Amino acid sequence: MKLVALILLTSSAIAAPVDFVRDVRPILQQHCYNCHGEKKQKSGLRLDIKASALKGGDKHSPDIISGKASDSPLIHFLTTDDEDELMPPKGKLSPENIATLTTWINEGAPWPDGVDLAKLEDRLDHWSFKPLSSNGGILPPVRNQGAPSTNPIDFFIDAKLTEKKLHRSPPADPTSLIRRITFDLTGLPPTPEETTAFEKEFIQDRASSIQHLVDRLLKSERYGERWAQHWLDVVRYADTHGFEVNTERPNAWPYRDYVIRAFNNDTPYDRFIKEQIVGDAMGQDAATGFLVTASVLLPGQIGKDDASKRLARQDSIDEMVMNLGQTFLGLSIGCARCHDHKFDPITAKDYYAMQAFVAGVEYADRDLHTPAAEASRAEEKQFKARLAEIDKELAQFVPMAKSGAERPMINARENSDRFTPVKTQRLRFTIKTTTNLEPCIDELEVFNTRGENVALATTGTKRKSSGDIGVAERHELRFLTDGRYGNSRSWLSNKLGQGWVELEFTQEQQVERVVWSRDRDGKFTDRLATDYQIEISDTAGHWHTVADASDRQKFDPKNKKTAKPTLSGLTADEANRAKPLIQEKAATESKIAQASNAQKAFAGTFRTPDDIHLLNRGDPEQPKEPVTPAVLSALGHVTLPKESPEQERRHVLADWIASPQNTLTARVMVNRIWQGHFGTGLVQTPSDFGRMGIKPTHPKLLDYLATEFIRSGWSVKHMHRLILLSQTYAQSSQTHDLPPPSATGSEIVNHKSKIINEGPLLDSDVRLLWRFPSRRLEAESIRDTILAVSGRLNLKMYGRGYNLFDQRGGLSGFDPIETFNAENQRRMIYAHKVRREPETVFGAFDCPDAGQSTARRIESTTPIQALNLFNSRFTLEQSEAFATRVQQEAGTDPAKQITLAYQLSLSRPPTATELADTTPLVHDHGLTALCRALFNSNEFLFVP
Amino acid sequence: MSYLSPAGHTLLDRRRFLSSSSTALGSIALTNMLGLDGLLAADRPIIDPARPYAPRQPHFPGKAKNVVVIFCAGAVSQLETWDYKPELIKWDDKPLPGGPAVTFQGPAGNLARPQYAFRQRGQTGKWVSDMIPHLAELTDDFAFVHSLTSKSNTHGPAENFLSTGFNLDGFPSLGAWTTYALGSENQDLPSYVAIPDPRGVPQNGANNWGPGFLPAAFQGTTMSSKAPVRHLAAPGVSPATDQAARTLLQRMNARHLEAHPGDGKLAARIASYELAARMQLSVPEISDLSTEPAHILKLYGADDTQNPDKAAFAKNCILARRLIEKGVRFVQLFNGAYASGGKLNWDGHNALKDQYDVHAPILDQPAAALIRDLKSRGLLDDTLVVWCTEFGRMPFFQKGAKGRDHNPDGFTCWMTGAGVKPGVSCGETDELGQKAVKDIHPLYDFNATILHLLGLDHERLTFEHNGVQRRLTNVEGHVIKQMLA
Repeated sequence: MKLVALILLTSSAIAAPVDFVRDVRPILQQHCYNCHGEKKQKSGLRLDIKASALKGGDKHSPDIISGKASDSPLIHFLTTDDEDELMPPKGKLSPENIATLTTWINEGAPWPDGVDLAKLEDRLDHWSFKPLSSNGGILPPVRNQGAPSTNPIDFFIDAKLTEKKLHRSPPADPTSLIRRITFDLTGLPPTPEETTAFEKEFIQDRASSIQHLVDRLLKSERYGERWAQHWLDVVRYADTHGFEVNTERPNAWPYRDYVIRAFNNDTPYDRFIKEQIVGDAMGQDAATGFLVTASVLLPGQIGKDDASKRLARQDSIDEMVMNLGQTFLGLSIGCARCHDHKFDPITAKDYYAMQAFVAGVEYADRDLHTPAAEASRAEEKQFKARLAEIDKELAQFVPMAKSGAERPMINARENSDRFTPVKTQRLRFTIKTTTNLEPCIDELEVFNTRGENVALATTGTKRKSSGDIGVAERHELRFLTDGRYGNSRSWLSNKLGQGWVELEFTQEQQVERVVWSRDRDGKFTDRLATDYQIEISDTAGHWHTVADASDRQKFDPKNKKTAKPTLSGLTADEANRAKPLIQEKAATESKIAQASNAQKAFAGTFRTPDDIHLLNRGDPEQPKEPVTPAVLSALGHVTLPKESPEQERRHVLADWIASPQNTLTARVMVNRIWQGHFGTGLVQTPSDFGRMGIKPTHPKLLDYLATEFIRSGWSVKHMHRLILLSQTYAQSSQTHDLPPPSATGSEIVNHKSKIINEGPLLDSDVRLLWRFPSRRLEAESIRDTILAVSGRLNLKMYGRGYNLFDQRGGLSGFDPIETFNAENQRRMIYAHKVRREPETVFGAFDCPDAGQSTARRIESTTPIQALNLFNSRFTLEQSEAFATRVQQEAGTDPAKQITLAYQLSLSRPPTATELADTTPLVHDHGLTALCRALFNSNEFLFVP
Repeated sequence: MSYLSPAGHTLLDRRRFLSSSSTALGSIALTNMLGLDGLLAADRPIIDPARPYAPRQPHFPGKAKNVVVIFCAGAVSQLETWDYKPELIKWDDKPLPGGPAVTFQGPAGNLARPQYAFRQRGQTGKWVSDMIPHLAELTDDFAFVHSLTSKSNTHGPAENFLSTGFNLDGFPSLGAWTTYALGSENQDLPSYVAIPDPRGVPQNGANNWGPGFLPAAFQGTTMSSKAPVRHLAAPGVSPATDQAARTLLQRMNARHLEAHPGDGKLAARIASYELAARMQLSVPEISDLSTEPAHILKLYGADDTQNPDKAAFAKNCILARRLIEKGVRFVQLFNGAYASGGKLNWDGHNALKDQYDVHAPILDQPAAALIRDLKSRGLLDDTLVVWCTEFGRMPFFQKGAKGRDHNPDGFTCWMTGAGVKPGVSCGETDELGQKAVKDIHPLYDFNATILHLLGLDHERLTFEHNGVQRRLTNVEGHVIKQMLA
């Protein structure tokens, strides 16, 4: 009503048409631009630029409906009585102003072109979307403190330092250098022998000693274990499914192993990308584990209603798109799920077009087709056949009923009742109690002394029962003896908790054993008979009980273990024959487990892709137009028709990403490599090369590295060499602004410098690299290093992860395992990674929880870390192991012991002061106390 | 501070620190320290690595300094507690016309009346159920919101959504955001404590108190009256040996720091060992409830020998009060454990009444006593108490069962204490309690309101992660002004 009145008022008040520049813009300028202008675009609405204003905001677009002021959200918000909705929030516009805007819209909202004062930024005008710049070819000579460098990295670094009137620090001492390089490349410390040898070579020829060291370490398999961890952080790898149930994902690890191998083999990075996206077509099945590393709801956790199913599917595809965007392109594509990206040239349509590439990928195990997997499969089949034979033989040796020995508890899968052979033509099985509901039996077998199942319907045996619930083709009396197992071929009594079945053989049989089950397939455990008796009829028609539940172990529904065969209740002769079979059974079962483990990988399955639609505000209940696969429209023009087969989609996507023409791919990866060595990348936001990311400190260096990376055939190891052999990398980490503060301090400083450097003031974050930025070891490195120093590290590679907790997945609290053995003293990358559950000691050291991607680990310092590292059983036990090792290797002389402890843990002998300081401690409190302190010391925990 | 080493002492004394540029510590990255007093210049807190828990100023003066969140895992039915629907009595055992055929767990059955009697309470005369008589007595003090909605009807994603504002895994929890912003008033205790239910951890476990991509310093530390903080002492090491190792470590680190002047990270680690040493004393002290008088134990029901789960939860509530008393910023008190067919938490699918008869007494008296106790000690003046659950339940039973299915479209949570307007009820569900229909508030709004009460603008409290300025409320959220005093 109010609106109508206003319109009437305006049409009489203003005769001439409203002029946008003269009448409308000043109102918007004064009242709206603050929140909907150049600086801020609340709710995505921008009113200072024609195109944006007419397009509208996130929620109500279009906000201006030409010719229809009363329908235009813009007018609604100016006139509403709802205080929470009213715009501007500070108070209503004057009626005149509202009238002007209303009239303007009713007149068709004429907005002349070319009058806007602001210009829409060109979102493509951004460094990382432009081709790699060539570095100009000729590099000027490198200015530095020591020998001239021929490494271009030093040139770029020095150029920037000079610009800021800074300079690089002197070279690091050899001890720091070997520690630094060894930790960097392998995540482990050098041994004392390696240190001594390096120091010796270093004095003779510094450059070649470093080169030899780097070459040696890049050949070590420890290298792949270290650098795979960086990658797994980014792709948020874990061995559980996440969310509330957080069940084990038992076949995730082949992907982890694939990544380790890829780094060790120096798989060219473009190939590494393609294998992870479409490895199923490249003989690298496990590699596509990349696509499905995220948390996912399992089918049983998803709601039965269709909306729940759609949301769950959308969330799971979203995780794939985010992973692809962040990991390879350094772009937060996921942001465009609900609306066009606020800052980067990524539209919501782009986002859904990316979804279409992976819309046929399901989170599931896939059979591996490597020769090893095929061999395991064949083996498993053999073992299973043998196991069936063993079980058959062992069935003869179950304890006799009524023998006095306790017989195993009833279970749903299979029960055997053995009795003294007896002649009969009729046998009755009576159920007296069940776990719940009416009893169900999927198969009843009766064996004669010749080992034949005489119950089988095919032998002509007749059946009758106390009454049945018939469900056609599922529960029928005939299924009781049809020789086929499982719930869907079973007999169901019609009485709660009770029922009987009777068999009549075609002729008298000498019977000795009855085998029966609820569900031999192991899926159902309800309706289980827990009290029963088996009777046979004599020729006079009298029934005699041959077996019942009275001598079985009391039924306990919580006890889910299947009974192991035992020797109790057997005669000496039987026991002798059963014993080897029991042993063989256990061995065969473990072989089957092993063989079945190596055949599958959680690497996704592929099917006909879902139809993908643009979703309004990301809501699966609001689908808009259909979308076909296409790469980000601002960065490429690759599109595919709707009918493109699933694998082809991923092929095309992989080729586009792993192309030298893609401006992001190489830059993003060389930056990750740089970050791995210096702690921070040239781009400080390694998974955001978009417009919100931080610009590179050294853009030309980044482009040089990216160009070199492509030129080398995408060799990651080549990049390591290039970086590690630079003088920038090999400089000291010390802050050289002060003279050494005291004699005690200077003793352990191998390199002193009196040069005054302004670095600490001008560049305290060391982004310009006027010194080497030292950093704390990551969680995994600390654990691995402690084990290496204590002498307990088990270098066994690959395979199923070892346990950190008492369970491998699940709902409730995870109790840490605090007894240590060879298996759990392997490197931490081989630990079974439970999503979200921080490892009890090292989780506090910023270990990612594998929920979202961790492109760069934060290094935080907390008292909980101190408590964990100082007091945990892990530290205490390893301190003891360390002390024992030192005593064994150094003999009884305390000075020699202390010296070796320092050499093993810190790669240097103690100073005289330190020796004097620690000797009384070792004397009074033992070597373990020193070892515990060393494990906690800053020198031990920091990359020098 | 005389118990600190010289290095730690220097670090913790800011004035001396800033004037000591000629000492070995002088050139610790100054940028780490500027803005130490909080959010004055920037919206984002600047964390001093040596004092991650140092108190920091909010964006604007907040009414609340500390928070206790009572988190009921498994989804408490709004219809059996705070959202009175007399119409449902009339409709009992009739089908819901036009209602959904299938909900989360399967086919829908008939509508079912509230399973407990309701009566009017206090001055406001608000109808609250007899299921929770002690809490009901406090009705006048609460600000209810009856029209909350969640993004998911599945416990895991929905608990994520309640605790972190996202239904995916891996985002920082409300407590992590709060302590990241504000630090803590007590440097000898963890700034953020999560207290699991005595029956077990909630459905989504550590994600409810995780740091996500915030620094690990801001993750919740779990402890309860049953299980203390881990690694407080070294098992099997004599006090003398323990002290000797500690002293040696201090000397090692001090020498190393002298040789590496200006490295703030090294100094921060030294300080962390000193904080840890103090925590080793203060944590056992705070968990020792033997000093609580008999009348307090009785008030909470901690002396209830007939109901050990209730007594254990009551002790957790007393622990929560003691932590708040000592200035711990954020305490999250869980009621209800993991998925268990409704046996151990509020997930009443099958036999709702029978199961709630067990769960309600465990929650009711202890939680009510906590609020009363905080109030009588004057702590409620600057402590916010929040009661929440991940979603509500359907007005109909599930087919063939006597329980209600998941319902994310309209459910109730409440707040009381600092800055909260007592006795208000915001928003409404429809007359059968199925969907929010008036003043609908996605959970974003509830979290935005909590931050507001702490003096934090949910749009300005951000952290850069992989290219996105992440917030607790994503790109949503409006403070529910009606709930504010």
